[in-house]
Amino acid sequence: MQDTMRPILVIGGGPGGLEAARTVAALGHPVVLVERRQRLGGTPDAERYAKLTHHFRDAEEAIGELVASVTENPLVEILTRSEVTGCEGEPGHFRVTLTTPSGAQERVFGAIIVATGFQHFDPGRETQLYNYYSFPDVVTLSDMEAMLKAHQVVRPSNGQPPERVAFIQCVGSRDRQIGNEFCSKVCCGIASKQAIEIKQQLPDARVFIFYIDMRMYGYWENELYWPAQEQYKVNYVKGIVSEILPKGDRLLIRGEDTTMGRPMEVTVDLVVLSVGMEPSSGTRQMAKLLGLAQNKYGYIEAGGPTGLDPVATSRPGIFVVGAAARPADLDDTFATAGLAAARAIATVRQAAVVR
Amino acid sequence: MSEQMIPLTEIREKKARGVRPSPEEAPHPDLREELFELEARGELIVQRVPEPYVEVTTKFGRTKKVPIDHLWHHKSCGQCGHIPGYTTSILWLNRQFGIDYLDPTDQTSCTGWNYYASATSNAVAQLLVMCRNFAAAYETGYYPLIHCGTSYGHYKELREQLVHHKELRDQVRRVLDKLGKPLVVPEEIVHYSEWVHVMRHRIAERQVIDMRGITACVHPACHYYKIVAEDAIYDPDIYGGQRTATVTALLQALGITVADYSTWFDCCGFGFRHILVQRDFTRSFAVLRKIEVMKDEANPDMTVTHDTGCVTTLDKSQFAARAHQRRVGVPVLADSQVAALAMGAHPFRVLQLHWHSTDWRPLLEKLGIDWQKYWAEFEEDLAAIERGEKPGLTWEDAEQPIAMR
Repeated sequence: MQDTMRPILVIGGGPGGLEAARTVAALGHPVVLVERRQRLGGTPDAERYAKLTHHFRDAEEAIGELVASVTENPLVEILTRSEVTGCEGEPGHFRVTLTTPSGAQERVFGAIIVATGFQHFDPGRETQLYNYYSFPDVVTLSDMEAMLKAHQVVRPSNGQPPERVAFIQCVGSRDRQIGNEFCSKVCCGIASKQAIEIKQQLPDARVFIFYIDMRMYGYWENELYWPAQEQYKVNYVKGIVSEILPKGDRLLIRGEDTTMGRPMEVTVDLVVLSVGMEPSSGTRQMAKLLGLAQNKYGYIEAGGPTGLDPVATSRPGIFVVGAAARPADLDDTFATAGLAAARAIATVRQAAVVR
Repeated sequence: MSEQMIPLTEIREKKARGVRPSPEEAPHPDLREELFELEARGELIVQRVPEPYVEVTTKFGRTKKVPIDHLWHHKSCGQCGHIPGYTTSILWLNRQFGIDYLDPTDQTSCTGWNYYASATSNAVAQLLVMCRNFAAAYETGYYPLIHCGTSYGHYKELREQLVHHKELRDQVRRVLDKLGKPLVVPEEIVHYSEWVHVMRHRIAERQVIDMRGITACVHPACHYYKIVAEDAIYDPDIYGGQRTATVTALLQALGITVADYSTWFDCCGFGFRHILVQRDFTRSFAVLRKIEVMKDEANPDMTVTHDTGCVTTLDKSQFAARAHQRRVGVPVLADSQVAALAMGAHPFRVLQLHWHSTDWRPLLEKLGIDWQKYWAEFEEDLAAIERGEKPGLTWEDAEQPIAMR
């Protein structure tokens, strides 16, 4: 094999990894995609997302198309139920140990793209007051997503459709107390999207969203925020919820309505915790294994020496994509995946010239 | 509607598994590793947890060593001053199990209350109080066991400062040098309730008072689990790992029914300074947000907690509330007192319930304990002291469990 065509390794088979592999192959370069799970598709697949924020595309269909674009490409070799367990070398020549169902093998790659993504914040880790593990009718965004996908938005306690639903924003994000001081970027949009979907499926339900700030990036303002209020009559209430308590067979939300400047209590049937993002266990493991610097939150440090390269890691020839480096939406993920693909191919070619 | 169509089963199963934290995902580095690094650089001595010890799981899944034996009892001002039966019960338990312990006479107050009431001088002075006590323990070869939740939380905060600020370490070391003492930090800062927690099965084996008919509410202490939260004991089998396991696990081991109430997370009212600067607020909070909620939602036979300030506040705040016909009247005990009582400790020579202001008599009657008989014994003790026949109560007076006589 020519040095200039040494394959590129992509770690992670979620949207970021799929898009990176797809782009590398589209540019005519061989690529190996390694995924720990049995299936490709990453978190949207594992968590059974219903529709993608912000364009309401069916998640299964959209991710399915992405998966197909990779699986049907002869330049892409896919290894599922496989993990990277060792890595040595330099740009242009990384000796990587891959542990697959058929055993361990060492392969040589020209560059590596890490697309190991995020995991949803565990609402029981710190925010005990929200009682996720204690109260059946407190669920997370991803639980709600699965319910929406099944077209069955119900109270887990009794299987009945809720009359009043409340979203609580910034669970595990923008929280100095627990150490996640960052904004997870997507939860406001997802909560607004889900509020719309709930109203579409349960037109008589009342839906509240309790928030610190609604962060509606770019076009989300008109795509999600205003339609939710104007067309679907979703109530946005500015105020942090301090606790959720049982009240008969319903839930009592206590907090502060900062607009009105007074304490508030609202009784609801179902609470959705807008859990933020944290680096996945795979991201943490790969960062350690590959010797990549991590920031204080465990994400892979990106930016490079100039601070302007969002896919550069602390190790030349290894690139990071999407939510392995920062809270990211799908647009961020695809953009960085394409950039990482270009950078990775450039690395292989430059290394070959130097040799 | 068929449940196969909806993901409810999966959601329920996920919740039933509870929280399984992973140390790799802890939001903070492990302070003990940093302590060992400082020791390797010759900056301080880390006093190792002596064997035998029990390993427990903390909030983020890390392991904490809790020593069983060779203990240096770092006592509590508030316990010795307001609720002496609290401390006596801890020491009584140690004696019952034949623990090799030291009840030091050269320990000072941790000055934690001053710290929380903004009345302390400076960070170096605070640290010196802590480090002088730790050095005193280290010199004896015994391992510090912190009785007071305030001291425990306060020391954990100070330990962080010491580890993270070299200039503080240097200043503290200069003063300790003048005292001729080493700069020592224990490997683990251990609260007495953690010792009770790991001893709970041995305590249950020696239980002589049947407590199965008793219902208790637990008040977990803020100073124990909200300050330097990652150091508190959590167990997936207790509240699904959602609340600290200390106290609750002991009560369950003793056959007591633990009843939940909605304001479990709230402070007892002591606050971190309210008791000192705004006592009326403390009293109101203790009654309105804690005792009355427990009474309304669970109607327990007792409330059990594990900190000086909590026992004092929850117990003694009920006195004024009763004068106003509030719904109070829940006796408040420390876990050490409940454990000692279960093993047959004398209600007055050991538990010293006469120091508690909320009526404990109905609780003892429900437990089948003839409190009048033991009160008469205690009154005779006092008469003997008055007659000059003995200088005070001794361990010989209190050692034997009441059920063994």
